[in-house]
Amino acid sequence: MGLVTPLLSLLRALVYVFLLAPIVVVVLASLNAGNFLTFPPQGLSLRWFWTFLNNDVFIDAIVYSLILAALATAVSLVLGTMAALYFVRHARREAEVVRIGVLLPLILPEILTAIALLFFFYEIGIGTQYKIALFTGHVLMTLPFVFLNVTTSLQGRDDAVELAARTLGASRMTAFRRITLPLIAPGMATGGVFAFIISFDTFGVSFILKGTGSAPLPIQLYDYLRFNFTPEAAAVSTVSILLTLVLVTLSNMLFGRD
Amino acid sequence: MKRARILMLIAPVAVLIFLFIVLPYVTVLLMSFRAPADGQPYGAGFSVEGYRQFFSQNYYALSLPQTMGLGIVTSLVCLLLGYPVALHIATAPKRWRGLLYGIVLSPLLVGIVVRSYGWTILLGNAGVINTTLRNLGLIERPLPLMYNEFGVVLALAHVFLPFMVLPLLASLQTADPAVRQAARSLGAGRFTVFRRVTLPMSMPGIQSGCILVFVLAISSYVTPALVGGMRVKTTTLLVVDALIDQFQWPFGSAMALTLAISAGIVVLIFARLTRIRWS
Repeated sequence: MGLVTPLLSLLRALVYVFLLAPIVVVVLASLNAGNFLTFPPQGLSLRWFWTFLNNDVFIDAIVYSLILAALATAVSLVLGTMAALYFVRHARREAEVVRIGVLLPLILPEILTAIALLFFFYEIGIGTQYKIALFTGHVLMTLPFVFLNVTTSLQGRDDAVELAARTLGASRMTAFRRITLPLIAPGMATGGVFAFIISFDTFGVSFILKGTGSAPLPIQLYDYLRFNFTPEAAAVSTVSILLTLVLVTLSNMLFGRD
Repeated sequence: MKRARILMLIAPVAVLIFLFIVLPYVTVLLMSFRAPADGQPYGAGFSVEGYRQFFSQNYYALSLPQTMGLGIVTSLVCLLLGYPVALHIATAPKRWRGLLYGIVLSPLLVGIVVRSYGWTILLGNAGVINTTLRNLGLIERPLPLMYNEFGVVLALAHVFLPFMVLPLLASLQTADPAVRQAARSLGAGRFTVFRRVTLPMSMPGIQSGCILVFVLAISSYVTPALVGGMRVKTTTLLVVDALIDQFQWPFGSAMALTLAISAGIVVLIFARLTRIRWS
């Protein structure tokens, strides 16, 4: 017994290292001055960030991913919030069906959902044209995260307050804007950030449904990694990690509760 | 009128899920029974050729038990690594909890491609681990850490560990610490308390964590592709290959459905086993 406790502490410490190591190593590798991902690095430099900034393929992919994530998040925020309002306030016997239904994209394997969407859009004659299939996939992947977060912020709240506002003469719209919206705003913010990050990072739906032309960042990165071993990929990855961090920090500053 | 207005809240999502989840999955089911064809994704009429093709070729059929094994081992590794961490966070002082929680969740903020890439930097023949060991004089030639099951399981465990820790944490936090203290004060040793109180109480978390990780692991594509370097053939890799590269939709669909059904059976057996033993 005297030995078990220190052993457990060691195992725990190792798990925390294990969790952070691959991420830290990517960031460190991006600072490598050499031509290849050698270890230890041949000096420190920002040259690979410069290379990346001059590489239109990656810049296009980042811009493309950001736009796609913003659009998918906007649609998911509206639809997911509506579904959450229905689920918490109005759903009775069908509540469990609603919950599982909205969470289906999260429960089902992403790659299988992507394949199913590919067939479906092919069958209705659209295929991967116009990026409709890709966009639909991203909305589906992000929807559960908005739903879950808004549901959490709504549960345990009394909807009598909104009713009271209505009785006191507020219009439906005013009651929603002044009472309900402030209540669910933190949930929507967290859900929105989650949705944005999920869309920005997701692989399965983008890989299967990307079609021709520009592709989201994870796909470009994957394609690049299959044949190249320069630290440029690490620089791209580092930038993508930084973008996520900025987003999380910003939302914490704006909507942070603790 | 009022009811109609309320239904408008759920209608868009209901339509979305029905059109883009339910119907597409029905399409996959139908597709798996369509006839194969050359030069186009599928031919006219229906057949079971896709399933026959899968089970009659060892190259494909044997990937199924291998993939299941990979998923089960990944789940076990996650459970082994995740349990002490979840227990630690659940019992840590409040001000530490946030930080530890953040560390556990941090991998989720980094894309799956980037994380898999991180593992290739660590595990490669000229990677961080092999170079360090060689420079220390501990090994002469690089250890085979990548392009095999070992590397894939390790990277998968990393990618999906948060999905094990979160349900574990949820079940550990709902368990009243007073029960543990009571058991201790009644004379139970620490190990007995763990075995008889903590472990059974966290059983729902263990169950959902293992199922979640298993399903995610067997259906993941990037990690086996990058860390396994296409040398570890999981059924999911073969499915994507058949569908996207070879353009054989009925065959690929049959393979995907067989994988899904097999996964369902493994999950059911697991749920059955864990129920019998603990409650």
